Amino acid sequence: MADLTRAEIEALAHAVGLEIEEPYLTAVSYQLNAIIEAIDQIPDSGLDNVEPLPIMLPPQDRRR
Amino acid sequence: MRLSDIPFLSAAELGRRIRRREVSPVEATQAYLDRIDSHDTQLRSYITVSAEKALLRAREMQLEILRGDDRGPLHGVPVAIKDQCHVSGWPTTCGSTILRGHVADYDSTVAVNLREAGTVLLGKLNMTEFASGETFDFPYGTPRNPWDLTRSPGSSSGGSGAATAAFLCAASLGEDTGGSIRNPAAYSGVVGLRPTWGRVSRHGVIGGCWSMDTIGPLTRVVEDCALMFQAIAGHDPSDLYTHEEQVPDYSRCLDGDISGLKIGLVKELMDPEMVDLEVRETVRDAVTALQELGASIEEVSIPMLQHAAAIAQAISGAESAFMRRELIRTRLTEMDYLATIRTLTGSLIPAQVYHKALRLREVVRGQMLEAMERFDILVCPSAPTEAPEIPASPNIVKSKDEVLDNIWGRSRVNAPASLTGQPALSVPCGFTSNHLPVGLQIAGRPLDEMTVLNVGHAYEQATPWHRERPPFGNKED
Repeated sequence: MADLTRAEIEALAHAVGLEIEEPYLTAVSYQLNAIIEAIDQIPDSGLDNVEPLPIMLPPQDRRR
Repeated sequence: MRLSDIPFLSAAELGRRIRRREVSPVEATQAYLDRIDSHDTQLRSYITVSAEKALLRAREMQLEILRGDDRGPLHGVPVAIKDQCHVSGWPTTCGSTILRGHVADYDSTVAVNLREAGTVLLGKLNMTEFASGETFDFPYGTPRNPWDLTRSPGSSSGGSGAATAAFLCAASLGEDTGGSIRNPAAYSGVVGLRPTWGRVSRHGVIGGCWSMDTIGPLTRVVEDCALMFQAIAGHDPSDLYTHEEQVPDYSRCLDGDISGLKIGLVKELMDPEMVDLEVRETVRDAVTALQELGASIEEVSIPMLQHAAAIAQAISGAESAFMRRELIRTRLTEMDYLATIRTLTGSLIPAQVYHKALRLREVVRGQMLEAMERFDILVCPSAPTEAPEIPASPNIVKSKDEVLDNIWGRSRVNAPASLTGQPALSVPCGFTSNHLPVGLQIAGRPLDEMTVLNVGHAYEQATPWHRERPPFGNKED
């Protein structure tokens, strides 16, 4: 996946009501692209059968 | 006993002496206030101290004790709370100038619980801004590590770790989202418990990340940790996610018998590329000590843990940014540079990334639970390095790869328990060659803090580390 450009990050920020300028924009672009890349690299096979829950349930409650 | 000797007692021992009327709550409170007065101008562990409120409360507790009332083992014991928890009539800044002057008009549940246990509140403790991972410009003074004042006491509950280690309170509360109790506990050489998520109410606590925030104690010994945890654990109708299971008597589980326990040393959290050699060796020595106490030790691999920090950052970044969305829009320029970068980044994490991270968290939990079917306890370092130097300038990232190295590297050790919600305790387990503390992290099954605390207690009783005092202010004068 290609990194988000500075213009794309500015547009993304604009969409949530933020204006990001230097000295923040460059650092945010490094951080954001790193998190996106790190999550993207984790295989997602089988995730369709996983339900996201905030609480760690005991094993017997996890089986539905 | 001289007044100046009192702060060096454990909270449990001080409580016993108060109940035997050998020490009064007023004497204990005055002794701690004197130490704060003489030492905290350098240590900067507190944001707010109120001698007036503390002494008034101490007198009330003293009267109760004199008339025979008994609130339990913490009755009259002076404690402090991270400045993230509301206490009615006290300022809550959450480490930010944005909240300067804000006075809470209601209590957090943990504050109520500690009050009902009879403790005396000395003050509110320093922290990174809004409990973010890093702050460079601390508006209420940079908290320092009593083992070396040029070093950090850890984050985000750095004030809790420093004050407890330097005997400026008998015990304290911190808050742990991604390691914010365990990391300061390790760096400051104290005990820190991240309880099971939902075991302690978050009501009245300024949130960082709703699905990972957990309140827990920082203390000098495990017995104190059990007492503080006992006081704050339990169901709270004001926090729908608190567990309804009965709270056991944690002090009674501290029998020090760990023979026959199965302990797993987590391979992915001892990675030489992530954990410094001295820390690895110290933790391995601690594991040997646990084996000599009768536990069986085996290395265990939990492959998804290599991704734990990435998953935790995606979730906590997005959740904490949403919780601060109004501040981001209106008062961003008042925040610290590092906190600003983190908050802005969290605001832009795409929904697809956040949602994938939520599902990946379940996969991590599944692998951890599978491991916990084979092991009673999992162990690893509480921090991958010794306490770092306090930087002279903000740590400005220079590339995406630098961030990735951190995500895949050093930030990994505390993410697993934050993601899974299981309890994890940090206990001092030795020192580096710079004589800086190292922490052993002991994680257990959900709601099984009893085993976690007992393993920590057994290890503590068999080793000398908890008896060492930091060089800063270690004399009873």
